[in-house]
Amino acid sequence: MKLIKLISWQYARKHKLRSLLTMAGIVLGVAVFVGMHTANQSVMAAFIKTVNRIAGATQLQVTAGEAGFDEEVLERVQAAPGVRVAVPVIEAVVNLNLRSQGNILILAVDLTGDRSLRDYTLEEGEDTVIEDPLVFIAQPDSLMVTREFASANQLAINSKITLDAMDGPRTFTVRGIMQSSGLTSAFGGNLAIMDVYAAQKVFGRGRKFDRIDLAVNKGEPVAAVRARLGQMLGPGFEVDPPSARGKQFEALSSVYGAMANLTSMFALFIGMFIIYNSFAIAVTQRRSEIGILRALGASRGQIQTLFLAESALLGLAGAAAGVLFGLLIARGISASLGEFLGEIYGVAQRADEIASDPKLLLGALAMGVVTSLIAAWIPARGAAQVDPVRALQKGRYQILSAGENRVRRITAFALLGVVVFCLSFTQNRIAFYGGYFLTVIAGLLLVPTVAAWLSRALRPLMKTLAPVEGTLAADSLIQSPRRTSGAVSALALSISLVIALGGMARASYDAINEWMRVAFNPDMFLTATQNITDRSFRFPVSFADAVREAPGVRVVQLVRNGRLRYNGGPVMFVAVEIAKLERESFLPAVEGDSSTMYKRAAAGEGFILSDNFAQLYNVHLGNPLTLNTPNGPLTLPVVGVVRDYSDQKGTVLMDRAVFIKNWNDDSINIVRLYLQRGVTVEATRQWLERQLAGKTRFFIFTNRDLKAYVTKITDQWFGLTYIQLFVAVLVAVLGIINTLTVSITDRRRELGVLQAVGALRHQVRRTIWLEAIAIGVVGLLIGFLFGVVALYYTIEMSARDFAGLRLEYTYPWGMSAALWPVILGAALLAALAPAEQAVRGSLVESLEYE
Amino acid sequence: MSKYALLLAVAAMAQDARQIVEESQKRHRSNSQRYEGVLQVFNPNGKNSEKRWQFSRVGNYGESKALLRFIAPPEVKGVALLIVNHTDRASDQWMWLPELQRDRRVALQDRSTRFFGTDFSYEDLEERDVEQSDFKMLGEETAEGQACWKIESTPRKTRASQYGRVVMWIRKDIYFPVRYEMYVKDQVVRRLHYRKIEKTQGVWSALELNMEDLRRKGRTVLKTEKLQYNVPVKEEMFTLQALRRGE
Amino acid sequence: MVALDTVDLRIDKAEVVSLVGPSGSGKSTLLNLIGGLDRPSSGDVEVDGARLAGVSDDELTRIRRDKIGFIFQFFNLLPTLSCLENVSLPLHLRGWPAAKIADRAKELLTLVKLDKRMEHLPDELSGGERQRVAIARALSVYPPILLADEPTGNLDSSTGAEILDLLRDVHQRLNATVLIVTHDRGVAEACPRRIALKDGRVVKDERG
Repeated sequence: MKLIKLISWQYARKHKLRSLLTMAGIVLGVAVFVGMHTANQSVMAAFIKTVNRIAGATQLQVTAGEAGFDEEVLERVQAAPGVRVAVPVIEAVVNLNLRSQGNILILAVDLTGDRSLRDYTLEEGEDTVIEDPLVFIAQPDSLMVTREFASANQLAINSKITLDAMDGPRTFTVRGIMQSSGLTSAFGGNLAIMDVYAAQKVFGRGRKFDRIDLAVNKGEPVAAVRARLGQMLGPGFEVDPPSARGKQFEALSSVYGAMANLTSMFALFIGMFIIYNSFAIAVTQRRSEIGILRALGASRGQIQTLFLAESALLGLAGAAAGVLFGLLIARGISASLGEFLGEIYGVAQRADEIASDPKLLLGALAMGVVTSLIAAWIPARGAAQVDPVRALQKGRYQILSAGENRVRRITAFALLGVVVFCLSFTQNRIAFYGGYFLTVIAGLLLVPTVAAWLSRALRPLMKTLAPVEGTLAADSLIQSPRRTSGAVSALALSISLVIALGGMARASYDAINEWMRVAFNPDMFLTATQNITDRSFRFPVSFADAVREAPGVRVVQLVRNGRLRYNGGPVMFVAVEIAKLERESFLPAVEGDSSTMYKRAAAGEGFILSDNFAQLYNVHLGNPLTLNTPNGPLTLPVVGVVRDYSDQKGTVLMDRAVFIKNWNDDSINIVRLYLQRGVTVEATRQWLERQLAGKTRFFIFTNRDLKAYVTKITDQWFGLTYIQLFVAVLVAVLGIINTLTVSITDRRRELGVLQAVGALRHQVRRTIWLEAIAIGVVGLLIGFLFGVVALYYTIEMSARDFAGLRLEYTYPWGMSAALWPVILGAALLAALAPAEQAVRGSLVESLEYE
Repeated sequence: MSKYALLLAVAAMAQDARQIVEESQKRHRSNSQRYEGVLQVFNPNGKNSEKRWQFSRVGNYGESKALLRFIAPPEVKGVALLIVNHTDRASDQWMWLPELQRDRRVALQDRSTRFFGTDFSYEDLEERDVEQSDFKMLGEETAEGQACWKIESTPRKTRASQYGRVVMWIRKDIYFPVRYEMYVKDQVVRRLHYRKIEKTQGVWSALELNMEDLRRKGRTVLKTEKLQYNVPVKEEMFTLQALRRGE
Repeated sequence: MVALDTVDLRIDKAEVVSLVGPSGSGKSTLLNLIGGLDRPSSGDVEVDGARLAGVSDDELTRIRRDKIGFIFQFFNLLPTLSCLENVSLPLHLRGWPAAKIADRAKELLTLVKLDKRMEHLPDELSGGERQRVAIARALSVYPPILLADEPTGNLDSSTGAEILDLLRDVHQRLNATVLIVTHDRGVAEACPRRIALKDGRVVKDERG
């Protein structure tokens, strides 16, 4: 410890900028990790809080996917032994027509008695919440809002509020104001309660409920009642504790979490190189200091410990800064994440507070320290091996020995051999990811060799461009692979990440565009909700009859979709008239026979799966697929697999008749319209609005609207990717700054000589700039090579584990080209400060500098 | 209380509690009944409300059917409750909501909850056959200025009632109940007074019911007007179909 | 503390002057001031008609590169450049055309008798050879003034004598003013004018 204070602290103080830069990788990596996870957790926590608050005393919840179930189920559940009380629930998130108030969560419960209220609000002796219970249930426009909501919007008893109902905007009357309680803080206070039977009408649920909340008799084990109910209701129903909803939500947002991990890991990995680099340089620069320490009696172990302790402290400081920074950005991320999850999954959630999990924060700190320790391990060992006698002599020790380089090369090729073996002989997951890891290591081991080789190749070119500055810059790279290769590795890694993610994004856009072109070809879409992923509202089947009468409509397709649980995962079902689908938007089979697949599915003989469903659940052509329905399990063979991107969790396509029969549900959420030639979308829109105004609430999306919407969602999704790319490039650029800072210190004498023999200041600056650009060029070239491999793995990874999407391998040439100005510009930017530093300071000192 | 009174009370216990209750129900039996009720709810916060309903009833005590339909105020007009009492189990109850055009069942679990925001619970609206409870004579007491038997009833099936026991006071002269106290555990939670006990068409009737909810500290008064016995009411009126038609 | 205190000195064109004194006497500082590597806290330096006080850094560099050639004790050659490249360096910095640079560099390396070693890296040369490369580099623009800071300090005595001969030869050929800072009494005595410094003051200035 004393040594650290005496030696390391002095060194760090002397090299403030460099110490800060060295930490930057850790700071960013940890910040991204903490920021993204905290945001995710906050949204999760808000969701779970809402679920819990709403659940109140609920011990179990009965659901049947998103399809809902018939009312009679309620009586069966209420009559089941062990059930103390069971209340029907309908839940919907509705857009408020109030100034920028966003959404409100409507919780519709049975208000026959005050039972539900008591159980929900958990407040005893409160009975002023509802002005007049009889009026409340007698009038279907009754609404009870939270005190917070009421005061925020200046609402009082008998105030009117307009919400979107099935038949258009409808005015509701506030007939109750809830006292502040656990419940009222759910969904950020934007919560209203209405009668469940009124809600059936308002939200087009027919005679169905979404859910039954129940509590068991005192003394009865919850698990026993759960098992009993599960048995009684059959496999179409799920009986779970309320916490299970959180798990489902978690499953939905898991892709995001994985993404957050990937980004932070990459940032840390790149940061690790910067630290390695800095320490390797520090060890070289401090050789004489180490020599003196050794001469004074420090053991090898002590030297190694000194450097490791230094790195641990550095890691800790960086991680601490990262944690703070991460918490700072978490709020912003959580806002956009909440919105984004709402858009994609229709689960709107507002996170009002940031949930900082101490475990996560501690983990992040540990991560920073461990990363730093790993990075410093080899340099620390190198320091320990410094020979005190040789260290006290002057000289250069930068150059990697030829032997060391050979060992690296041999190791790299051996590793690559293992990887090729892994890929060609096994599909095993560990082998796959292990292979990826080994490829990266092999690539990194080769970086010094390739970088030196590339720099040599660049030298003549740079010499022609700027004889002195160019040559010196190139030589600086060639001569100090240890200094350079860290920065080059970091840059190459981040460029490969850009190529991999960018390539995947490109491939996804192409695939999604192609899919939209074929599958999204109706001229108009009518939906029951403003947002196509929200399924709070549904049309009764009679709506379709009204639409069919519209003049100029060629084909009307009825769609009902929603989420089901399959093997514990939330998958999407789409029930549609498949015969019509085949005629209008024919997606060729990826597996199966395109010509018969639709006919068989239309006849109710089987399911058609999306490619990602088949991948994620490993169900393929000909396999039987069992879905749980309210009428019991339904098993049909898979008759085909198509490339469909409707949902990240996989889609099952079935004929509408199959759904109606097995789910006892003929409601619709989307109507797809094809118009006759010559009929305009606008004319049809006007006709529909005229005819249906005031009868049924609906939203019209034109073909272009919907495509724009899908593109927007895709953009948002890849927006996250672009954050990753930005972080990766940022860390790499910090690496360049770091390397250049070291470079000018190392070359202080050389730069002094240059000035002494007549170099003007801009000439000195230029050589630093050129060095940065050379690092950029070498990093880009190696990064492009890495990218080839990384893209392969990323596409495989997304197919295997994330979204089950099979994407074409297309190298993003355009993006590679665009990277040149970006990276070189960034490199130049990184060189500005070091270059200024190089021309400042005393010439005399630099000439004497050693 | 004098020594004599105490002796008297002991002597009266000889009379079987069940027989008294049975006699009380038999004496005031009518085949059918109709009245207009005025329902006044006095909330503890001072906010009061008044509603009117029309009440019809047919059948013997304990197996009767009853229909009550609100006629005022306009917001609740048409809301109806159909009660079908069973001798062997809890009643069936359905509610009709004209605005929603649908009926809904009042689940058993909700019988203990407040009936439409009054101090009555749904359960308090049902008639219970004597066979559903056990009775015990607690003694004689003066209640509402009248000499009464004080009898305790305990439901036979635990699930059948929210109350652990009910203590009732029955006038010795006319076998008419004047007061009920409902217990949950050892606490009186509701107290019902029968007032304005008069003879209508030769049948003793209470023209005012006063229900106190001691937990919420509210009070509901039900006044009976236009009371008629043995009116021509059809059995078909008391079906779910009729309820849905809004008759 | 001041390195130099009221030094008033004039060196005429084509003089060969030695500057001696114990460590810390200020002789290197004087050399650096004359060469424009350092600036005096007060006072002025005039080199070949150009006043150094108050000019910008770049101006100073221009004066330096046009009028002054430096020779250092530790040679200060750039290790990654060949002899030819090292000698070419100042010419490149002046933006000379490549062909002219090559001619001049070869000519100078021939002058210092290193025409056989033009493509070698400094590490591959002996100390004397390195210093000869450094001299060639200092001469690359035929500067009117040559400043040498302990040019023989890192060499054995016979090599040192060779370097001194070379400097004399250069002086005669180019008619340059030469100022040599040295510890070596022999080197000092060989110069026509000898200046001695002590504690930042001139304590002796003799000719002949």
